[in-house]
Amino acid sequence: MTDARELFRWMVVARTLGTTLCTLNVRWFPVEGEEAVHVGSFVDLRPDDAAAPHYRDPFVVYLMRGAELWRLIAQVLGKSAGYNKGRSVAFNGPFHLGVVPWVAGDLGTTIGTATGAALAFKQQRSDRVCVCSFGDGTANRGDFHENINLAAIWRLPIVYVCQNNGWAISQRADSYLPAPVAARAAGYGIPGRTVDGQDVEAVRAVVAEAIERARSGDGPTLIDAVTYRRQGHWAGHIVSDADRAGVVERPDPIDVLGARLLERGLATQAEMRQIHEHAAAEIVAAVERARAAAEVGDAELGLDDVFA
Amino acid sequence: MSIDAPVKAPVGSRRLTHMEAVVEGIALEMRRDTRVFLIGQDIGPFGGSMQGARGLFEEFGPERVLEAPISESAMVGSAIGAALFGSRPIVEVSFGEFLPAAMNQLINQAPNLHYMTGGAARVPVVIRTRVGDGPYGGHPQDYVSWFAHVPGLKVVVPATPPDAKGLMVAAIRDDNPVLFVEPMSLSHARRAEVPDGDYVVPLGSASLARPGRDVTLVVWGSMLPLAMQAAATVSSEGAEVEIIDLRSLAPWDSRMVIDSVRRTRRLVIAHETWVTGSFGAEVAATVAGVARLELLTPIQRVGAAPIPVPSGPLRARALPTSAQIVAAVRATLEGSRP
Repeated sequence: MTDARELFRWMVVARTLGTTLCTLNVRWFPVEGEEAVHVGSFVDLRPDDAAAPHYRDPFVVYLMRGAELWRLIAQVLGKSAGYNKGRSVAFNGPFHLGVVPWVAGDLGTTIGTATGAALAFKQQRSDRVCVCSFGDGTANRGDFHENINLAAIWRLPIVYVCQNNGWAISQRADSYLPAPVAARAAGYGIPGRTVDGQDVEAVRAVVAEAIERARSGDGPTLIDAVTYRRQGHWAGHIVSDADRAGVVERPDPIDVLGARLLERGLATQAEMRQIHEHAAAEIVAAVERARAAAEVGDAELGLDDVFA
Repeated sequence: MSIDAPVKAPVGSRRLTHMEAVVEGIALEMRRDTRVFLIGQDIGPFGGSMQGARGLFEEFGPERVLEAPISESAMVGSAIGAALFGSRPIVEVSFGEFLPAAMNQLINQAPNLHYMTGGAARVPVVIRTRVGDGPYGGHPQDYVSWFAHVPGLKVVVPATPPDAKGLMVAAIRDDNPVLFVEPMSLSHARRAEVPDGDYVVPLGSASLARPGRDVTLVVWGSMLPLAMQAAATVSSEGAEVEIIDLRSLAPWDSRMVIDSVRRTRRLVIAHETWVTGSFGAEVAATVAGVARLELLTPIQRVGAAPIPVPSGPLRARALPTSAQIVAAVRATLEGSRP
């Protein structure tokens, strides 16, 4: 089992990589402030489970499943070394690592596909499960309702995590969420949990319980992980102080866990600094390698690759 | 009947309706391959809309015949996801009018997955639906042409019982998403000999339903019987119509159509759906692009009146008729009668 220090490292990797990707591509979606939800939701999945992370820079999820850092960066640069031959949106993950593909341009579509992964696992009588996360804006798509209802009826082995950062691009949650997301679970007859999305250990604990429930055939759980978007919707999107007026800032998830590591004597300040430095160095090297990779060409265009 | 299908009943064939043939194709594949299962509404003890799942629940039980809530997007989306992760689902959207409720999954997701994962993902899913006019009068709007527009989705519309079985078997065995469309006017129409056992009609292959030297008539689905009737009328006037039943709209057998038009030098296209933007336009454009100089007369197209297909007795006035096909054929012969 991944220890707390490793959780810290993954969040640092997510933060450092995200910051770098935002400088490489102004259209990248900054993960800053929300790392604990990505890491905590997916860290305890088995390699043969399915992962359908929210699109907001899910690279740390792919890395935890074994993706290569430089290839993910190459993907953001549109290089042929990316996992999907430069064909899909850059945040689409490597399918061979059990990542539910993201090929639609809209939101909520993957909730259906992820639910289908759980359906396949149930039909195959396996104990594999799927974790599916999405934003609080996406929670208003019909696919959210239809699929959670379907999964509840069929008792599918899936965990739904709402990565609730309080924003849908420029709109604040009070313009689209009349009640807490977890309260909706009652309408489907499944457990609903609310968890502090800045506390990676808390997210992990509540998701682990839901995974266990799913694995043992008791069906889905809906988790509302309340988090905080520190940047705009995309890298180039500036949210002014006026826009943020009244929004309560939530603590930085890396600081929260860092303080605990110190308190528990699991890491020193110097060691944590080293984790930051090591992540930064790895990313610099990976960016260099990705930059040097070949551009896409006719082979990637794949005119004969539409059908299997 | 298609001439590809055996003219003489082979050893081991039975006379089945279109609907019975579809169900037989599904049952055979479910027996052969435990990865295959069915999702839909009313497919349990009720036996499916228009008896479209008759006997399946009794044979395979609730674990492989899954009744779903009225949630087309989740039904299709979860079927796609299950296909990605090793199952081979058939999802039944009771009527074609309900396809738009699952459009996001049908258009933005299923067709894109293989290509956009760099070829890593496969989506062996069949989306089965019923369209057009039919014995019960409901849900007549035919939107099938929309789906042939999108790269990555296969679209088939069988017009005979043997094709209904053979195309269903092929669709289930295909590693790509296939929209399987059943014309409701044919569902419980005349029986035909359907070979027993393993019987496959390749996706993308048209059928030469009637050979003829003078005019090529391209149809699919419910128009086949009307086309045969029209051909008989025109034949009594001394002209022979060659009827091509496309069977598949995506991919489609343009070669058979072009080869035929090269001989007949005249083309009529007839379909139950509206003319504007229908797949018939693609057939016309393809032929015009390849054989423009060879055509003796302008291409004629027959389809529904440009209004939402109405209910009740009004409907007959909106949908294409055999007489309209005859008139279109005559128009191509005018001034150039052989």
